[in-house]
Amino acid sequence: RASLSFLQAIMQGENVSKPVLQVINTRAIATGNGPPRYRVLMSDGVNTLSSFMLATQLNSLVEEERLSAQCICQVNRFIVNSLKDGRRVVILMDLNVLKTADKVGGNIGNPVPYNEGEWQQRPSAPAANPAPSKPQQQNGNLSVAGPAAVKYHAPSNQFGKVNAPSSVKTPGGSQAKVVPIASLNPYQSKWTICARVTQKGQIRTWSNSRGEGKLFSIELVDESGEIRATAFNDQADKFFPLIELNKVYYFTKGNLKTANKQYTAVKNDYEITFTNETSVVPCDDAQHLPSVQFEFVSISDLENTPKDSIVDVIGICKSYEDVTKITVKANNREVSKRNVHLMDTSGKLVTATLWGNEAEQFDGSRQPVIAIKGARVSDFGGRSLSVLSSSTVVINPDSPEAFKLRGWYAFDSEGQLLECASISDVRGGPASGANTNWKTLFEAKSENLGQGDKADYFSCVGTVVHLRKENCMYQACPSQDCNKKVIDQQNGLYRCEKCDREFPNFKYRMMLLVTIADCLEYQWVTCFQESAEFILGQNAAFLGELKEKNEQAFEEVFQNANFNTYEFRIRVKLETYNDESRIKATAVDVKPVNYREYSKRLIASIRRNAQLG
Amino acid sequence: MEDIHEVPRPRIATSHLAQHIGQPVCFVGRVEKIHPTGKLFVLSDGKGKHATVELSEPLDEEISGVIEVVGRVTNQATIMCASYVQFREDKSPFDMELYNEALKIIHEFPEYFPFG
Repeated sequence: RASLSFLQAIMQGENVSKPVLQVINTRAIATGNGPPRYRVLMSDGVNTLSSFMLATQLNSLVEEERLSAQCICQVNRFIVNSLKDGRRVVILMDLNVLKTADKVGGNIGNPVPYNEGEWQQRPSAPAANPAPSKPQQQNGNLSVAGPAAVKYHAPSNQFGKVNAPSSVKTPGGSQAKVVPIASLNPYQSKWTICARVTQKGQIRTWSNSRGEGKLFSIELVDESGEIRATAFNDQADKFFPLIELNKVYYFTKGNLKTANKQYTAVKNDYEITFTNETSVVPCDDAQHLPSVQFEFVSISDLENTPKDSIVDVIGICKSYEDVTKITVKANNREVSKRNVHLMDTSGKLVTATLWGNEAEQFDGSRQPVIAIKGARVSDFGGRSLSVLSSSTVVINPDSPEAFKLRGWYAFDSEGQLLECASISDVRGGPASGANTNWKTLFEAKSENLGQGDKADYFSCVGTVVHLRKENCMYQACPSQDCNKKVIDQQNGLYRCEKCDREFPNFKYRMMLLVTIADCLEYQWVTCFQESAEFILGQNAAFLGELKEKNEQAFEEVFQNANFNTYEFRIRVKLETYNDESRIKATAVDVKPVNYREYSKRLIASIRRNAQLG
Repeated sequence: MEDIHEVPRPRIATSHLAQHIGQPVCFVGRVEKIHPTGKLFVLSDGKGKHATVELSEPLDEEISGVIEVVGRVTNQATIMCASYVQFREDKSPFDMELYNEALKIIHEFPEYFPFG
């Protein structure tokens, strides 16, 4: 005969597999307009304990008198809940009557009421906890481990996950039937779904004239669809520690109401609100359910993502800032915030802002991989990410994407060497080169740079393939800050209209039209003084003299300037001149190629393209 | 061995030596040790792995820093040097790790970097 299990073990939150207990008594508790709740006095032969509640789906067992005083039953599934006053209640989710009361004939042993707080001596340990089930991995989908490794022992001050995973079975067909999420509607009050938690938000509290409260929301997914669920106040307290991201549970009974689409992107007309009748029980047998789907956007693609979009991102936390406290003006509350900087294989860096607990508890040492689901894109400093209360942040997720990133960064060393351009760089407006965006000439043309209202700037590596000698310089006003072309009065004097003066001299000023090319495209670029002098390797005054005195030497300068490769910073803008619109490109800066940085960019680009296809 | 400069010579790292026995190669590495006879020296590649370079005639100058060796891989996976070039690092240092990254790409995508 199976011996009765320890009540003590159950109440202390130890893992007990399918405890066998004797029912001493059952009592109906009135619940107002719902079905009755049955409270059960259980015995393990030594102690009795009345803190057992029968899950309503098992009510028929009592009503049909199968579960009655003195019968022996085996509890297949149960949850231990702690009440606010510290008392523990065991919810019986599924049980088998092993021996009906008539066959038992009396109370086993001489049980005395169990006194919580008094540990009785026991000769042997409770049933050992079987090995935990394997983490759920699926081909092609991204499986993400919860924020902490799931531990199968019960933390002493929290709700224990008393059920050893392998002891949990799908409910026997006689009890609650599992329905698909897609079938949930407000007209059906008794339902059970089996779903995976694909998103878990943080606890949010509010305080207004009507009172205060707290809530947290989760998103659930099964084969039929998805739905959002929110737990308030007591249910929030009860379920927040119990429910883990990416785990599968049976959810039974909650309110269905029309979804407030403003708060969520979940595709369901309805959403669930937990009530005090809602039960959440871990489900073991759920490999078939879709797991957390991340659809990662590469950080460089964020530059083209419209602001306020919700995206999933994964990156190495290359650096992070200290947590700061700011005061929210709206409700005068202090909120913690922290900026972290994420980088992925695109070589781009983005700043993500964490809030609240997440900001405070963040540990960025050892450059973890961070995956964020449901971050909001903002246009602060270009593009940045904000983590919302509905976002989920996973540090070092247990996923192929994370491993790939980690490998790229740590072992390939190119990740650490990579010069990363931040797309969230607040300093440096478009005019400065602080935000270097490297393009090939092909990309600049195909992306229609310069065709907007403002000028666009980009950097590229290009080779000079042609220079126009004719009209490469003009006679300019000799005044310090004036470069206006002067008019030759033909009497030895030169007039500047802008300064409204005549001068006996002028200065030569360069305006050189250069064609540069890279592997795919070419581009005409105008180079003014500094750029032109750099390319030609001579200053304007000397060139002016050569042009007048030594035609051949002048030509040689241009020949030597040809076919050299430089880094160009180019400004492009659509200019309209007499009804004709044309893109004009100017080289605002020309520098020697930094081959080291160029190589790193090329390597990153090759690796990126290799991954795509 | 004059003809070695007329044929394709893949750039390799130490780990590729074994696959190129008997073939002409180009190896870039940092001088680690020079044998007292001057007929042998050891280079380290971008990963820090060592390769031995042998000469038919002893060195007639001091070598140091990064050098590029063209030669044939012997059966013992050393390189029989046909010629070498010392990289001048006075203007800018040579980034061995970056060179190694480039090597990886060359070898990973042979369709884009065919060696003859």
